[in-house]
Amino acid sequence: MTSRLGVETPPRVSTPRRRHQGGGAFKYLAVLPLIVLILGLIAFPLGAMIWMAFGQVRIVAGQFDYTPIGFGNFERIPADTTFITSLVNSAVFIIATVVITVVLGTILALLTDRMVRGQQLFQNVLILPAIIAPVVISIIWLLLLSPQFGLINKVLSALHLPIQTLLGQKAGAMAAIIGVDVWHWTPIVFLFVYTALRGIDSSIIEAASVDGASAFQTARSVILPLLVPAIAGAAAIRVVMGVKVFDEMYLLTFGGPGDATTVISIYLRSVIFDRFDYGYGAALSLTVLLIMLVVVLLGLGARGLTRRFRSA
Amino acid sequence: MRSSLSSRVIIAIILIATAVLTILPIVWLIVTAFLQSRAIVAPGIDISFALQNFQSVFDPSADYGRQVLNSLLIVVLGTALCVVVAALAGYSLSQLNWSPRGVLIVLAGLGLLQVVPPMTLVPGIFVLLNTLHLNNTLGALILLDAVFNLPFAVIMAKFYFDSIPVELRESAAIDGASDFGAFRRIMLPLAMPGISAITIFTAIQVWNEFLFGLVFTTGGTSAPLTVGIATLIQPQQIQYGPMAAVGVVTAVPIIVLGIVANRQIVAGLTRGAVKG
Repeated sequence: MTSRLGVETPPRVSTPRRRHQGGGAFKYLAVLPLIVLILGLIAFPLGAMIWMAFGQVRIVAGQFDYTPIGFGNFERIPADTTFITSLVNSAVFIIATVVITVVLGTILALLTDRMVRGQQLFQNVLILPAIIAPVVISIIWLLLLSPQFGLINKVLSALHLPIQTLLGQKAGAMAAIIGVDVWHWTPIVFLFVYTALRGIDSSIIEAASVDGASAFQTARSVILPLLVPAIAGAAAIRVVMGVKVFDEMYLLTFGGPGDATTVISIYLRSVIFDRFDYGYGAALSLTVLLIMLVVVLLGLGARGLTRRFRSA
Repeated sequence: MRSSLSSRVIIAIILIATAVLTILPIVWLIVTAFLQSRAIVAPGIDISFALQNFQSVFDPSADYGRQVLNSLLIVVLGTALCVVVAALAGYSLSQLNWSPRGVLIVLAGLGLLQVVPPMTLVPGIFVLLNTLHLNNTLGALILLDAVFNLPFAVIMAKFYFDSIPVELRESAAIDGASDFGAFRRIMLPLAMPGISAITIFTAIQVWNEFLFGLVFTTGGTSAPLTVGIATLIQPQQIQYGPMAAVGVVTAVPIIVLGIVANRQIVAGLTRGAVKG
């Protein structure tokens, strides 16, 4: 922050000189690869998806066979109970995992900050789930949760306790993938909040304790308000991760039992690669993107409103 | 802030318990990988060590050796492509007199792209790869992994270059350096800590990638290691021992990197993402 402030003042003086110096072809050449790659591999597929969404698409002898059908694909959506279920499952998953990881991550950050030593070690340990491949995370939890050979049931039966069969039950499987996600991604919320916490001027906190505030009071009315941007940022990232989630369900529950853990990405994959229903898969993808766009706009609108409300 | 001894003890207990809960599942993966298959399926806890899981994984007839190689190739080339493109674009956006509005539009666009679930783009990418005859090739995965990590990498690179004073580039220009020369010899070395954080972070993401490998390869010798694991998890018949062994092979390099390059990874996980 300081460095950027430091930079901003002097260039204003030299603006006229910079204009004819830094504006050469290199300026545009340097962003060209980015533009080409994004247009080619993201914008083109987006366009292809919209095109496919309005047609019946089949692969005949390795070639796409396209028949335009207008809104035919979209008309099928309201009657598609599995798609509706997948939206509900994703919503349940996202709300539960975002709330739990944000609360736990924030508490852990606040507690870590109170430690006299060992913070660095704790941070190094907690970072591990966030960098190990989601595929491996699925394996790790399969080795714990498997009804026959999982460690949890081995321990439970050694203690003569009833064994768990979470992955075989509808609510249990959802609870299990939420639990795995919490284990997996609480660290990232922790890192966010903890980094922000260490950036807070310690004199503010000292002033509060000199004024006689208890540790809990200081945390609640001094520290937490200062952390709101970091917590909101972490929550936003967690929401996006929740929408994208795929690997853990694919490997741990395969969307089941039944369709209890079929989230959006799992259902899209099965429409495209099990049913080869490309046009319909594209229509569903487009619908999901439009829903997300609405959510993003609502989120930005809400942020604007609260800002205006605060400054008023 | 000072706190009483008893509250410090309680906090320490909570944090130690959290650390143990974090480590224990990972340790059990590693232990399982070294267990005999008899011990894994035994009803109780039986700890009989053997190397048979790793032997079956690295048997020349198995695909895993090839898949490790595939994953390494994808990581090296995909990360290199991503970082080079991101460094160039980030530098230009940060230092070369773009209008603030233009920069904002590019950054907002890149931020929005990060919100798009990759699975929704799969039908369109499928068409693209078919047209280019890139289906089931490593080249496709290298391109896709590079591009889908670009938005984050560019945003981070831009902010790292922001911390370098413009004057340095100007004096290089006065000394007769070309625009590219100033970038390569002056600015890039100064931004190296940031670039290395981006590199490590991107490499981890690419190594861990699963979705594109799953849907755009036919598995076997053309797949990355993460997809190889999936073939061991068939709903009715899970091969726990080899599965754990491949899991260890996939996770251990990242764990080692996590210990060695901790600082860069934390920077990668926290810094650019706030702005994206």
